[in-house]
Amino acid sequence: MGYIKIFTKSECPKCPAAKEIGGVLQREGLRVLYYDLETPDGLAEAAFYSVLSTPTIIVEDEDERVLAGWRGSVPTIQEIHGVIRAQ
Amino acid sequence: MISVVELRKRQREISAGDTTDMALFVRTSEESIEGWDRQRIVDALMRETFIDPDTAEAISREVEEIIRSSKINMVTAPLIRELVDAKLIERGLEEARRQHTRLGMPLYDVDQLIVHPNKENANVPHGPEATNLTLAETIKKEYALLEVFSQEVADAHMRGDIHLHDLGFIDRPYCSGQSLEYIKKFGLNLPNSISMAKPAKHPEVLLAHMVKFAAALQSHFAGAIGWDAVNIFFAPYLEGMGDAEVKQLAQMLIFEFSQQAVARGGQAIFTDLNLYWEVPKHFRDVEAIGPKGEFTGKTYKDYRTEAQRFVWALFEVYNEGDGAGRPFFFPKPLVHITEDFFITPGHEKFLHHICETASEKGNTYFVFDRGETAKISECCRLSFKLEASDLEDAKRPWKMRYSALQNVTLNLPRIGYISGRDDTRLFENISRFMEVAVKAHLEKKAFLERLLSLGEEGPLALLTMSQDGEPYLRMHRATYLIGMVGLNEMVKIHTGQEMHSSREAFKFGLKVIAHMKLLADKMSKKYGMRFVLEQTPAESTAYRFAKLDLRFHSPQAGHIVKGDIARGEVYYTNSTYLSNAAVINPIERVRQEGLFHPLIEAGSLTHIWLGEAKPSPESLANFVTKTFMHTQNDQIAFSPEFTTCNQCARTSRGLRERCPYCGSEDIDGITRITGYFTKISSWNKGKLGELRDRYRNQGFMKRKADGAEVEFT
Ligand SMILES: [Zn+2]
Repeated sequence: MGYIKIFTKSECPKCPAAKEIGGVLQREGLRVLYYDLETPDGLAEAAFYSVLSTPTIIVEDEDERVLAGWRGSVPTIQEIHGVIRAQ
Repeated sequence: MISVVELRKRQREISAGDTTDMALFVRTSEESIEGWDRQRIVDALMRETFIDPDTAEAISREVEEIIRSSKINMVTAPLIRELVDAKLIERGLEEARRQHTRLGMPLYDVDQLIVHPNKENANVPHGPEATNLTLAETIKKEYALLEVFSQEVADAHMRGDIHLHDLGFIDRPYCSGQSLEYIKKFGLNLPNSISMAKPAKHPEVLLAHMVKFAAALQSHFAGAIGWDAVNIFFAPYLEGMGDAEVKQLAQMLIFEFSQQAVARGGQAIFTDLNLYWEVPKHFRDVEAIGPKGEFTGKTYKDYRTEAQRFVWALFEVYNEGDGAGRPFFFPKPLVHITEDFFITPGHEKFLHHICETASEKGNTYFVFDRGETAKISECCRLSFKLEASDLEDAKRPWKMRYSALQNVTLNLPRIGYISGRDDTRLFENISRFMEVAVKAHLEKKAFLERLLSLGEEGPLALLTMSQDGEPYLRMHRATYLIGMVGLNEMVKIHTGQEMHSSREAFKFGLKVIAHMKLLADKMSKKYGMRFVLEQTPAESTAYRFAKLDLRFHSPQAGHIVKGDIARGEVYYTNSTYLSNAAVINPIERVRQEGLFHPLIEAGSLTHIWLGEAKPSPESLANFVTKTFMHTQNDQIAFSPEFTTCNQCARTSRGLRERCPYCGSEDIDGITRITGYFTKISSWNKGKLGELRDRYRNQGFMKRKADGAEVEFT
């Protein structure tokens, strides 16, 4: 399993929910990376994945290949688990 | 203009007893010869500088003494001025020296200029009119660096940390986007113009107004003049016209704008025609203006058929090329493609039609307006994304006139050299260079505001005319461009790799541009101005920066600059582009370069160099659709190469040593330099170096089984 990447911005109504999910996944032992679009690192990573809206959650495999992505919306924990299990 | 230094001895009687008058004549700025009068020095110093009368008096005596003891009997005003300047410097009066500076050129340079072509801008043909332009530009450039900009900004430009574009046009905004609706509604009513024309009744008259207005605008802007939705706004005039008439109008439009260069002798009117197959959302329900400037009672969606007939005819003309079969260099056709394009009847046929032109002649620019963005492309790359306030403007499209006041480009490799592979220093230096660029914008803005404040009596009267209740140039809507050159080389200096060689290097490039974008946003907030990133076309800047870095940062720069150092054909890769020479599948290049585009608000473009290959329209159409659907790329253009023969006036495909028709070696190449087609003989050395390096995608095109057609693999 690779990383779960979460892209957020400070003024974005659904972003707290996305971060919360990140917290849950981390407690489950999954590797989660957070990117703030208001920093150069975060914005660069967002550009790399063509992330144009926040929040966005991207699930990657070990080789940094995108398995699934939710752009501008927040998935349920179950949906993310589904992607990981399908691996 | 004054006659330049030419010392010639002349004899003249002096009135006896007049001891203060020397046997000396002065060639003045007013093209006259006058006797020596020391008081003129004092007057000039008092008028132009802030020094005290006693010092002025003392300097004038010292200069008089030098001239007296030298025994020359003819001096020129510039020589006296230089002697005075030397005295000011002896006294440490540096500011007074600056204020007292004379602007101009050495005799040798003027001679060179009149006799030899200027290669800084391939868009300028050589000729007496062009020389006039260059001479004027030279003085305005000096004026800008001395008087408009602070020393910090001017020095940064001279050193090559940054490049201030179009210094020779310091008293004009940079480029602009226009709406035909303005002249449709108000007619042609320009300040200082002898005749006034009412709104056009017929399409030919509207076209004539458009051409005249474009010429007037060209003399008020340094760069491109873009026209928004040309075929849509012409449409209400085309009702009831037969196909032949529409085609003729299309021909007139293209020929008029392509031949302006000849008429003026100077720069071609750098014209962009923005075109649509669909009626874009923001114009669909807008009330249409028709003949006599009156509302027709319909909205633009009702004119789709006429608009489509016109844009179709335009591409028929492009496809044929000029009399010798060469592509038209101007006006550039930019076809905007929105989601609705793909649900508009006839789009497959139209896409095929414009791809035929792209393959045959290369003219077509494909502009992708995805989602809610709509763009009005205007400069080489400049496009403005429509925002809420623009959508409000769109309801009254004559309001839709925009301008970028200036373009300042950062030398990214320079930042690399001085940062010693240290991240913190690198990002700090980028910020520092950006701050200088912002300062340059503030200074240019202040200068233009001073000119604009003179209103109808001032030099920019045209831009202050207010027929719709606000000045033609809407300063509050202006943008200030910050461009970049050589991201690829900066990344190489800093990480050891070019951007196409590794994911890390590529991502680092993105981080640099992300940093610049966030900084531009921050500064926009701070100053209440719109600073936006732009992909600088950098026809000469990429060459200039490389040369200056070889001078100041060798031996390191010797390993970094692109091109052939021995031939002097050195350059940096333009803006955020991947290496021109890199062997990358073109669709992958479009995708990767496109990842930068959302960060570069003023518009971006990816070139696909075709060389002599002529891919089938189907394969280009497929490529364009893929680009729209699967990438973030803003704009693409396919660039074939041609050889045009000066002997038999025929044009062949590819760059050749001799004409394949008549065997003559008196030939010239034609292809895109940056944002437009031009003859290669006019290119500067840096761009020639790039041309040699361009990867022409030959490895990714193959001939179909039947051997007839080439397509992308
Ligand atoms: Zn020939």
